[in-house]
Amino acid sequence: MQAQFLAGGGLGTHRPADTAARMSNHGKAICRVAVTAQTDVYAKAGAMVAYDGFLQYEAVSQTFRRALGEWASGERSPLLRWSGDGALYLADMGADVLNLHLDNEKLSINGSHLLALDATLECAVEKVKGVAMMAGTGLYNVQVSGTGWVSVTSRGVPVVLNCAEAETYVDPDALVAWTTGLEVRARRSMKLGSLVGRGSGEAMQLGFKGTGFVVVQPSEDTADRLKIRG
Amino acid sequence: MSRELAKASRVRVSELTSSTDLYLGVHIAGPGLTFDISCFGLDAEERLSDDRYFVFFNQPNSPEQSIRLLGAQQGDSESFAVALPHVPDTVHKLALTATIDGDGQMSQVASGYVRIVADGTEVGRYSFTGTEFSTERAVMLADVYRRAGEWRFAAVGQGFDGGLQALLENFGGEALEEDAPVAAIPAQSPAPDATLVAVPAQPTEPVPVGVRVSLTKYTELPESPGWVQQNDNLVRATLTKGQDVLALQGSMVAYQGKADFAYEASGMLRKLVGNLTGQPLKLMRVSGEGQVFLADEACDLHLVKLEGDSFCVGSDRLLAFDANLEYEVRRIEGEGLPNGGYFTLQLSGHGTLVVKTNGIPVLLPVTPVPETFVDIQALVAWSKGAQVITTAPVRIRRSSYAGHTAQSHSLQFRGAPGNFVVVQPFEV
Repeated sequence: MQAQFLAGGGLGTHRPADTAARMSNHGKAICRVAVTAQTDVYAKAGAMVAYDGFLQYEAVSQTFRRALGEWASGERSPLLRWSGDGALYLADMGADVLNLHLDNEKLSINGSHLLALDATLECAVEKVKGVAMMAGTGLYNVQVSGTGWVSVTSRGVPVVLNCAEAETYVDPDALVAWTTGLEVRARRSMKLGSLVGRGSGEAMQLGFKGTGFVVVQPSEDTADRLKIRG
Repeated sequence: MSRELAKASRVRVSELTSSTDLYLGVHIAGPGLTFDISCFGLDAEERLSDDRYFVFFNQPNSPEQSIRLLGAQQGDSESFAVALPHVPDTVHKLALTATIDGDGQMSQVASGYVRIVADGTEVGRYSFTGTEFSTERAVMLADVYRRAGEWRFAAVGQGFDGGLQALLENFGGEALEEDAPVAAIPAQSPAPDATLVAVPAQPTEPVPVGVRVSLTKYTELPESPGWVQQNDNLVRATLTKGQDVLALQGSMVAYQGKADFAYEASGMLRKLVGNLTGQPLKLMRVSGEGQVFLADEACDLHLVKLEGDSFCVGSDRLLAFDANLEYEVRRIEGEGLPNGGYFTLQLSGHGTLVVKTNGIPVLLPVTPVPETFVDIQALVAWSKGAQVITTAPVRIRRSSYAGHTAQSHSLQFRGAPGNFVVVQPFEV
C-alpha cells in the first residue's frame, strides 16, 4: 500500500496537473497553455520549453509583426502563432509566470515581460508618452485589450499596487504592467548634489495616478542574460 | 478503468475496487484563489465529535493513522490516504471539503475534481467547475460514508456559505474562542444531496472577474507601521518622520506617498569597506512619509529585528536597515583570505535590518562540539556572540580536469549556546 503512494514521490510529484484552464501555472515558472482547435495563441519565440499534442507554429504574418515588431525597446521580438490541439509549456529563464484573465479590460505590459497571449486579444505597441526619452531604455509597451488570457513574466514574486490609494512611483526597470487609463508621469528624484557623482541610485521613477493598479517585480535586473530574445 | 461520477451520485466503494486502502485526490483551482482542503471524520449524528478527526494541514493524521493527509501529489492539489478497515467504528462519514483561503468565491473555480485511486489506478472521478456554484466560500466535495455495513462514496459538490470556520461550526467543531453554543442543526440523513444549509439568495456585489482577480494573491499587504515582508522577494518599509532607512542604492522598486532618496555619505565606513574590498558599500538615505518597496534582483529577503543585541552581516548581503542602528566595520583576518580579510558590518541597537540571500538559507546553531565550519563564500550573517576563527585554506584539487584547482576558505565558529550562523545555498 505504501508503494502506491511512494510512486507519486520524487519526480512523480511534478507531473502536469490535469486542468482545462486556458492558461495555468505549473510551478511558478512554467506557463501551461491549453491550445484547442478554435483558439490560437501567440507566444514569444524561444519561450517554448515543451509541448504535447498536435501543435504547430508559424511566424506571425508580416503586417501583424510590423505592428508588434519593435515592441520591446526597439528589439525585434518575433511572435509565434501556435495552433492545433494540445498543451504548450512556456518559460522564460526561470522567471515567475503570472497568468492574467482580461475581462474586456486593457492592460499595458512592458514588452520584455510578455510571454504569451490569446490570439483573440487585440494588441498594439504604444510608447509611454513623454517619458520614453527620459527613461533612456525607451519605454515601449504592448497594450493588450479584449477578453482572454495573457501571460506575463516577473523576476521574483511581484506586488500589485493600487494607484487609487495614493500616487505610486515605480522604478522603470521594475515595472511589469499596469492597467491603462492611469495618468503616467515621470518624476526625477535627482538633486543638484546628484550631479556631482553622488546620486542615490534612484534617478527617475514613473508616477501613476488614477483608478487602477501597477504590477511591480522585485528586481531591477534588465540584463539580457535573463531574457529570451527571439 | 476510471468511472465518471456525476454530482449527487452514490456508489459502493466495493463496486469500484476490491481494495480498502484508498487514495483520495482533490484538485481545485481558480485564478488567484488558494484553497484549504480538509477531511472531517463525522460520527453517526454528522458531528465532529472528536477534533482529532479533523484532518487538515495543521493536523495531517488521525490518531490511528487511518486518515492521512499526503499533500499535493500527481497533479492533485491535496490528497488523502484512507485505510477503511482501520477507521474507528465511531466515525461514520469522511467529508472532504474545500474552503477559500482569503477573498473569493466558489464561482471563480476554474476546474476541479475528486478522484479515487486504489492500487495505483484511478477507479472513480467526480469532476466539477465553478459554474455549479455562486457566492459560496466553501464547498463540500465528496463523502465516504458507511451504509448498511459497507463503505460508499458520494459525489456531493454542495456549496456552503461562509469559510472554514462556518464549516467547522456546522459540523459541531469548536471554532476559536466561540463560546456561544452552535445553533442546533438538524441531524442530516446520510443522503448526500440533502441541502445542508439553505443558501440564502442574497444580493451580492457583482463578481470582479478579470485581471484584478488573477492578481489577487499579489496585492499589497494591509498598511502597518515599520517593516513588512510583502513576499519572499520584497520588503516594505513604512516611513515616518525622524525614522529614516538606509538602503542599498538602487534597491527601491516602488513607493507610495512622499519619499526622498538621498546619497548617504557613510564616511569612514564606506571608505574602509571600499578601499579594502574593492566593493564600496553604496547606501542611500530614504526619508519622508510613505511606503517604500525594496528588493534586489529577486533575492530572498529576511527581516531581522534587533532588540539591543548585535548582528554581523557580510557587507554584500545587507539590503537595508533602520538609520538609528549603530554600525561598525569588522574585519576578519586570516591567512589566505581573499583581499587579505573578510569584512562584515556589525549592527547593534533597536531596529530592523534586511538581509538578502540567494535561495533559502540555513541557520546553523554554533556549538563547541562538534565545531561549525562555513564556506566563506556562502556565509551570510551570524550572531554577535559567535566567535570566528579562520582555518587554513582547504585546497581542493580536481585532478580530473587538467589545470583546474579550486581553493575554498572555511571559517570556524565557536560560541556560547544560542548563537548561530546563517548560510545561503549559493557561493558568491
